[in-house]
Amino acid sequence: MENIYKPELVEIIDIIDETPDIKTFKLQFRNQDIQNEFNFLAGQFAEYSVFGEGECTFCIASSPTRRDYLECSFKGAGKVTNAMRRLKKGDVMGLRGPYGNNFPVDSMKGKNVVFIAGGIGLAPVRCVIWNVLDLKEQFKDITIIYGARTVADLVYKRELEEWKNMPGVKTVVTVDPGGETPDWKGEVGFVPTIVEKTAPVAENTVAVICGPPIMIKYTMPVLTKLGFTDENVITTLENRMKCGLGKCGRCNVGNTYVCKDGPVFTYEQLKQLPEEY
Amino acid sequence: MNYYITTDEKLRELVRTLAEQKWNIISADKQGTRFMYINDGKDLTVDAKARPTKVSAKQFVFPKSEPLFFFKKEHDDLKLIDPQAVQQKTVLFGAKPCDAAGLPIMEKLFNWDYKDEFFNKRVENTVVIGMACDYTDEYCFCTSVGLAPDSEKGSDVFLVPGADNHYVVKEVTPKGAAFIAEFKAIFSEAAQGDIKAVSRTQPAPEKKFNVDEVKNWLDGHFESEYWSKAGETCLGCAQCAFVCPVCHCFDIVDENCAADCGRRVKNWDACQFGLFTKHASGHNPRETQPDRYRQRVSHKFKYYQDKFGETLCTGCGRCSRNCAVGIDIAEIVANIPM
Repeated sequence: MENIYKPELVEIIDIIDETPDIKTFKLQFRNQDIQNEFNFLAGQFAEYSVFGEGECTFCIASSPTRRDYLECSFKGAGKVTNAMRRLKKGDVMGLRGPYGNNFPVDSMKGKNVVFIAGGIGLAPVRCVIWNVLDLKEQFKDITIIYGARTVADLVYKRELEEWKNMPGVKTVVTVDPGGETPDWKGEVGFVPTIVEKTAPVAENTVAVICGPPIMIKYTMPVLTKLGFTDENVITTLENRMKCGLGKCGRCNVGNTYVCKDGPVFTYEQLKQLPEEY
Repeated sequence: MNYYITTDEKLRELVRTLAEQKWNIISADKQGTRFMYINDGKDLTVDAKARPTKVSAKQFVFPKSEPLFFFKKEHDDLKLIDPQAVQQKTVLFGAKPCDAAGLPIMEKLFNWDYKDEFFNKRVENTVVIGMACDYTDEYCFCTSVGLAPDSEKGSDVFLVPGADNHYVVKEVTPKGAAFIAEFKAIFSEAAQGDIKAVSRTQPAPEKKFNVDEVKNWLDGHFESEYWSKAGETCLGCAQCAFVCPVCHCFDIVDENCAADCGRRVKNWDACQFGLFTKHASGHNPRETQPDRYRQRVSHKFKYYQDKFGETLCTGCGRCSRNCAVGIDIAEIVANIPM
């Protein structure tokens, strides 16, 4: 009998401490055949499990252009994520997926792309960033605007440096006022303000945005003012989920199953949904 | 469609035969509280005049708690073991139209795109012997959601009470026909009209609302003053979802039996609980009880209709009959200020 709820086993091959409370796991399937066959698209998510603790949902944070492993970044927030924090390199977890739809990377080709992320919201965006950067010649100008509460809360610090030094990529990193350190050389200010200041060109540009609801709420009017149309702003909804398969009913927003019809939505699609996300 | 005749006594004999052949046999209990497994013909309750059981029969296709797999840690290795596939043949006796209809309604959810074989195997192995209903109280509203006391939806075999403890038996599906053929000593062939169905002693439930009009209103009223009124007394206990024949939301949790083994189970859950949608960050898309009550009504009368073309309600009235604070969903829907 086919069992859609049974995960595959993955091994933690590396752990990176991103911030005091955020870690990144690099994972590989125990079964090499599954690793070789595992395909996903930028923006898809998976169900990760710690046996005996439960399952939780995160996007796949690594790029589909890199096939030897998968990465996920998470913050210790509940039972499962705190159990994950206790795991060590070499430990075994469960993984089901990939699930959901994806960012329309193909239709973004030939365009400028602006990435806007806040806090751990960089994780799903990072997947598309690397997807785009690994195929950079097929895209025009890339802008990355990323903000966190404090310098210590910035994730993927090593990659932020790497992006800053890439030709054709403009990387702007900011921290909330009061979150800077004496030697901080980046911007200080909330993401919406920094987006306005950076003023990316809206023409022939797609914006990918992910972060806390409050950040998205205040960034949207800025994007509109800069000339971005709703269908060219794409985000991903991080609703609470359990099954990821369109069954358990938890992620519903109106008649939409975020796990099946999403998690990626254009701002235009989002505006059609009841405001319940 | 073929018709047959049987009697109360013959059905009890059928139970004895099925028990000998190790079938799972399900019947309502004598108190009318729930459906349960029986092994003896004397425990069979097929009563058209009975009130719908307090709890619906859905747990036999969608159990309250169902193991999805077992895990066992061995040294450095970990093994995942599938539960034994459900194979046992099962017969559900005396499902009222408002119970039987729940199966094909939930079937759509469990089979769009990904297929939940736990549900499917149980449905596949179950013969539903439905029964025309001769009960009506102020909570019944099957006629408002496109069903009726004699709806055969979801039944494989359908019993209609006739005179002198007889039943007119209709084969509704090929599965039902095969069942009747297998136990032909129980069912004597008859032509339609050979035996008269007894007319109902109860009037059919009155039609309380029009589902299309309700859906039209819901399409445009996610935001409405009405919701704060409709949901204000709800305690959020979710008994309504648990007794419902079609509420199907669930949780997935791990249970440990020892330090090195355990299982992952699918448990009934409900949108009336505040934790149902609460994010790890603390953000909750459905912050208040009225938000959650709006979800309950909208899922039943709009969202499921949008997605699967069915109303997610069979009008059994269980949610209202059992509500601690007397919320009556039919009344709430009928009173929508359209």
